[in-house]
Amino acid sequence: MGKRLLWSLVLSSVLSASWAQAAEKTAIQVMHQGDPGFVAAYGKVAERFEAANPDVDIQFIYAPHDAYNEKFSAAVMAKQLPDVMELDAPFLANYVWSGYLQPIKPLIDKDLLDDMTESNIAQGTYPIDKDLYAIGLTDSSVVLYGNKKYLEAIGARIPKSVDDAWTREEFEGYLEKLSKLDGVKWPIDTFRGYGIKTEWITYAYGPILQSAGCDLIDREAWKSEGTLDSDACVDALAMMQKWVKNGWVVPQSAGTNQFFAEGNPAALALGGHWVYAEAVATMKDNIVVLPLPKFGAKGASPNGTWIWAITKTSKHPDIAAKFISFLLKDKEYRAYVASQSGYPGLKSFAAESPLYANGGPMAIAFEQASKTAVSRPPHPAYPTITSAFMQAVDEAFNGGDPKEALTSAAKKIDEDIEDNDGYPPFGDGQ
Amino acid sequence: MVMQQSISSASVRKAPARRHDRGRLMQEAAMLAPAMILLTLFLILPFLLSFWTAMTNQPLVPRPTPVRFVWFNNFIRIFQDDLFWTALWNVSRFTFWIIPAQCGLAFVTALLLNQKLPFRNLLRGMFFLPAITSMVVVCVIWGTLFQYPTGPFNQILGFLSGGAIQPIDWLGDPQWAMFSLVLLSAWQAYGFQMIVYLAGLQGIPDELYDAAKIDGANALRRFWHVTMPGLRPTHVFVLVITTIQAFKLYTQVAILTQGGPKSSTETVVHYMVRSGFEEQKMGYASAVSVILFVIVLIIALIQRQLLRRFDV
Repeated sequence: MGKRLLWSLVLSSVLSASWAQAAEKTAIQVMHQGDPGFVAAYGKVAERFEAANPDVDIQFIYAPHDAYNEKFSAAVMAKQLPDVMELDAPFLANYVWSGYLQPIKPLIDKDLLDDMTESNIAQGTYPIDKDLYAIGLTDSSVVLYGNKKYLEAIGARIPKSVDDAWTREEFEGYLEKLSKLDGVKWPIDTFRGYGIKTEWITYAYGPILQSAGCDLIDREAWKSEGTLDSDACVDALAMMQKWVKNGWVVPQSAGTNQFFAEGNPAALALGGHWVYAEAVATMKDNIVVLPLPKFGAKGASPNGTWIWAITKTSKHPDIAAKFISFLLKDKEYRAYVASQSGYPGLKSFAAESPLYANGGPMAIAFEQASKTAVSRPPHPAYPTITSAFMQAVDEAFNGGDPKEALTSAAKKIDEDIEDNDGYPPFGDGQ
Repeated sequence: MVMQQSISSASVRKAPARRHDRGRLMQEAAMLAPAMILLTLFLILPFLLSFWTAMTNQPLVPRPTPVRFVWFNNFIRIFQDDLFWTALWNVSRFTFWIIPAQCGLAFVTALLLNQKLPFRNLLRGMFFLPAITSMVVVCVIWGTLFQYPTGPFNQILGFLSGGAIQPIDWLGDPQWAMFSLVLLSAWQAYGFQMIVYLAGLQGIPDELYDAAKIDGANALRRFWHVTMPGLRPTHVFVLVITTIQAFKLYTQVAILTQGGPKSSTETVVHYMVRSGFEEQKMGYASAVSVILFVIVLIIALIQRQLLRRFDV
């Protein structure tokens, strides 16, 4: 009897001790997106972090990619902001302007800050105060993938660097030739299968406009009318519309894998760096990676990806930053990202990624970052800018008038800016 | 005699009621109160708030710039936006198609299932099943059926026509997208109208059919002269409910087409969600909701008129 009493005493004291320990833990909430592979990878990093910091409990909040901003808005309204949040770089200005994020330079490990590539610094920097608000292991780019067999069949010139990228005439000529080639169902896949309401549109097609000599918005006056509806933009959108009309582009309903699908129905692919990992599995060395064509005087390529920030409401910014630093340095996580053809945003990670090293298959993509990358407009009106542009592209791709589509997009953007009194201090220094 | 009795008992009851008028009023108010409070809290107040919001430039989430009164600016902008008119036109088109499709299908199945068939209840359950299946699930499944060019629908069409019918890009072709949504929506939701029709059919007294039979009316004449008039209120009800539901078309669009291609499936509700949550313009979205409210209100008023005319 006495023994049993003793045991139960011991047991309850052990239990209460462990309870107490659980209660002492600091909870850090991390909001993120990502496909199942990445979600699993984050989970494992958190386990390792908790093992190293037993007093911290990492809690993940998953938000699906396509509705991420909506979910984040809900969190803002419910006053339940996470400590750490992943965000898509072009939306950074909106978040900082709205007052959700805090500068992270003093919090993140210094060696990581020194390790950042220029375009990584650019994607995490708010243009008004030039302060760093977010950091990522990766950046991103879009390149032109080619099916070697088909390109050789039409005798296409294979550029060796960004500087000798195809011109508009070459590119359109090749599309025409490819359209007549046996085995090619569609000359190019521009990944319309991602949908008509996805950031992909602005991310991948925006640079075509920029290369043609225009932009989504004037980046000094922060006014869209006169820029997005300018002749250069209309001409660029009309050019894309022509590709679609001619049946050169994989239609949206055909899915997103026509470049590396069985039989290779698409000869070229205007695709993100992540496509390489998917394509190489089936196409082996039949892929060539080409720089994005020059549609005007200069080349342009996109950058920016999902990066990590700390919210202003976080009660433990130091621990949140510790987790971000831990994540970006985690060896196994880096190995996983590298296996997904992750685009280096840290110099040390670039060194670990032979894919992007000089002579590597994706070297051209990395070269674009320093030579042609143009960020999406870092302006708080970005949610409207991108939504309006998506709408215009959908109009044009389905036969609408490009001039009308872009004019109404430009109007919509300017109205939003006007509604918010110009998003001060933006536009003050014009 | 019976009538007399009821009148006299009513007048007997009336007299003490007058004396306790105030007490009764209080009683009524107390009984009404829970419903009124809930209605005010969840219906009237939100509506007033959305009307208020519609006249401001309220963003979705708090912002550093002040929220201002813009009066009817949002409404003016909406009316000037081609996309809104496209959305309204699309919804009208959808309604115009869905009423014959959905109500017709519901009516025919209800007539069939009102016969003395074996396993009648099982069949009714089966036909009702899509109506209780989540629209999201239905959309995902139909999305695969619609697939271009190799989806089941295209294969069936190709097979039946011996290859004469080219694969149709159901959801990717502006000419076809709305029609595809009509097909899907009619199939998903007709079970509800079917049940209403079944109830209506069973509400027609058997005596009428018996009398018609004695008078020598054949099945067709019985249908036209007994069934159809007996279903008049049901027809009106189904018509109005279907119209109002059609104007709220959203889920199918959000999941399958996102308003495209070329805005051919943009709807008023989808337009509202887009401006409110994607472009973060709560004021503007509220204005759209007020307009939608007015449209639905007009439909409801027409309904009342119709009901009155049919003396229901």
